[in-house]
Amino acid sequence: MLRNRLVTVLTFNDGTLFRTKLFEPDYRYTHNFVDSWSVDEIVILDVTRDPDADRSAFHEVVTQFAKECFVPLSVGGGVRTLDDVRRMLEVGGDKVVVNSGAIERPEFIREISTAYGSQCVVLSIDARKSAGGGYEVFSHFARHPTGKTPAAWAAEAEALGAGEVMITSVERDGSLQGYDLELCRQVSEAVSVPVLGLAGAGNWKHFVDGIQQGGLSAVCTQNIYHFTETSIASAKKFMDQKGIPVRL
Amino acid sequence: MIGIVDYGLGNLTSVAGAVVKLGYRPRITADPGELSAAEKLILPGVGAFGDGMTNLSKRGLVDLLNDLVLKRRKPILGICLGFQLLGASSEEFGHTKGLRWIDAAVTPLQPDDAALRLPHVGWNEVSQTGTSILFDSIADRSLFYFVHKFRLGTPTDASVVGTCDYGGPFTAAVQKGNIFGTQFHPEKSQQAGLALLRNFLERA
Repeated sequence: MLRNRLVTVLTFNDGTLFRTKLFEPDYRYTHNFVDSWSVDEIVILDVTRDPDADRSAFHEVVTQFAKECFVPLSVGGGVRTLDDVRRMLEVGGDKVVVNSGAIERPEFIREISTAYGSQCVVLSIDARKSAGGGYEVFSHFARHPTGKTPAAWAAEAEALGAGEVMITSVERDGSLQGYDLELCRQVSEAVSVPVLGLAGAGNWKHFVDGIQQGGLSAVCTQNIYHFTETSIASAKKFMDQKGIPVRL
Repeated sequence: MIGIVDYGLGNLTSVAGAVVKLGYRPRITADPGELSAAEKLILPGVGAFGDGMTNLSKRGLVDLLNDLVLKRRKPILGICLGFQLLGASSEEFGHTKGLRWIDAAVTPLQPDDAALRLPHVGWNEVSQTGTSILFDSIADRSLFYFVHKFRLGTPTDASVVGTCDYGGPFTAAVQKGNIFGTQFHPEKSQQAGLALLRNFLERA
């Protein structure tokens, strides 16, 4: 039976690992805490704001990380051209994560999936709650409204060749209050590709809720281990006890 | 030296990284001389079957690989798309002929449960169904990492040494003499994956 995945997301700013809160780098830490034998998959994102920034520090970080990483590694941040994709794969990525680059030019998703296969493309969607209810996709570090709903954008991206969708609630980032389950559910029901949920996990039960109520195939977290001082392994034990198939 | 066939597709860096971790010297290359000099070959690959064959042809690698693998019996491990390319043909994006070293067609995964999402992404059990050095000292039903939408059928002329189930069983690993292949990614499957790669590198 296919296992639900527990994915660790690492965000780097100018080559330095930070946690984020409400999409701003909060404070830095080291990646010693990544329990590299229990984690199912790792996502590394470059959240450096300056679009013209030298990304060589980030590439070096990924290169070093990839040497000891024997689980799938997805890499993203500022990916806008096939050259960017090639670079991310060269430094050790198995998949690329696209976000604003796909909003600017949705056809970019098709270009990547044609060149490298759809399994190589993870579409990342950042969404905020709308004033009138519902959700809206925001791009460019969640600052630009796009007028799209997350469900419609996910479905469009699937049709263009995205192999997975990662949905992030901007409001829940760093909140430890749990995933936005309604947002996760809307997106997971809109597509037939696997959906990864990010932002808000504060305890092990949030993982269970994300999968059982949000319809997620994979639950992602970037901050939680920092606060709980317990391991991915213990999170998985909890999930297993709740009847969720995980890799123990 | 372990030759990692570079045909412009796939996570070659990841495969090379795992080979280094196991203490071997990988070379990512499409150079005929280097591939001929390699003790063993790995044909990795993610992406589309048609592109895979087109790229292999464009780089003159089909004839070279036929010579190295079929005539000179160099051990080769096909991974994911590289595994599917061992087969006869694929329905992916029209009908494309494969390397035809193994008589099996590549067809879309069609899980019998509508709730199962595609691609099949993540960790799943591999049941060991035959005897192969690939699975030496690896526990039966160990978890390996898969990411694919297509599957290789049951070959008539090769041993299925591992199967997986995703809304129905499918071929996860094959062996035919010096030709080995896995649908899953051993380079991304932690201890079990590294153990399988080591078996290939040490014993094939």
